[in-house]
Amino acid sequence: MDSGHVAAADHAAPQTSVPEDPHFGKASGGKVGMWIFIAQDGMSFGGLLFAYGILRATATEWPVPSDILGIALTAIATFILICSSLSMVFAVEAAEKRDQVGLVRWLMVTIAGGLLFLGVQVWEYMHLVHAGIGFAECTWEGETVNSLFGSTFYAVTGFHGMHVTAGVIYLMCILRGAMKGKYTQGGTSSSPVELVGLFWHFVDLVWILVFTFIYLL
Amino acid sequence: MTDQTTTTDESAADAGHGGHAEGEQSMRGLYITIFLTLGLLTVFEVYIPEVYSAAWSGTTKMLLLTFLAFAKAGLVATYFMHLKWEKPWLRWIALMPIYMGVALILIMLETMYR
Repeated sequence: MDSGHVAAADHAAPQTSVPEDPHFGKASGGKVGMWIFIAQDGMSFGGLLFAYGILRATATEWPVPSDILGIALTAIATFILICSSLSMVFAVEAAEKRDQVGLVRWLMVTIAGGLLFLGVQVWEYMHLVHAGIGFAECTWEGETVNSLFGSTFYAVTGFHGMHVTAGVIYLMCILRGAMKGKYTQGGTSSSPVELVGLFWHFVDLVWILVFTFIYLL
Repeated sequence: MTDQTTTTDESAADAGHGGHAEGEQSMRGLYITIFLTLGLLTVFEVYIPEVYSAAWSGTTKMLLLTFLAFAKAGLVATYFMHLKWEKPWLRWIALMPIYMGVALILIMLETMYR
């Protein structure tokens, strides 16, 4: 019981060490910085999706995406990413509770989700390239289709895929620290886990929009 | 959002972020509820293109799917990214892509109706 109280006191230490800001409250400089990065990254994705919308709206011919792209498979990939967002939330929770075993476990589950998503994307790319959907030239079932379909598809999903890859590498770096007890031992800050969590949720959030605009519409 | 509401939200966050076991349980329950909502909305989204051609026009489908996508993205940002428990300044920063979106829509409308 006593050790529990000690753990609780250790837990409280890093939380109170961040000075209260009149505008940002308890949010650390790292968190504000990560949010500014996420906002500008969101604008990058926004620009790509707007360009896609304008190119598609002004095209004389555009294939129905669901005729070419595998909606069921991508829906499963979307669900995998949503699952990994949940495991990431649990990882952050575990770090705040100083639960090293829980933190390592949930980080591993999140990384596995990211790798699985990337695997599905690689499989999808290979299948599409074999079927004739290239970056610069597109044919589908023997007929030429607007090459912009392939260009915009690979540009948007590829940009997102690179974010997933970066997120997985980022998570692996945090996992390495977590295994050494870097974020769960007394006096240490769990903030890096929260920051990687913000980035990972952003990757999930963007995919929700990409899935709708590129695949479903 | 009023100051009073912000204070209440912060108390909820404190409870969830390591205070009482009850608070932790309710936060975990909240996360699972959001996760299940996201899953159900995804199933609904995938189902829409299957039925739209017979029942709805393309515009209805487009508006419904866009609304659902932004609703799901909003849930992730609000609960998973903890924006609900952040101060308004951080929320304004998070909304930056929306301002850009509004600016782009205005430019597009100006070009279309020039």
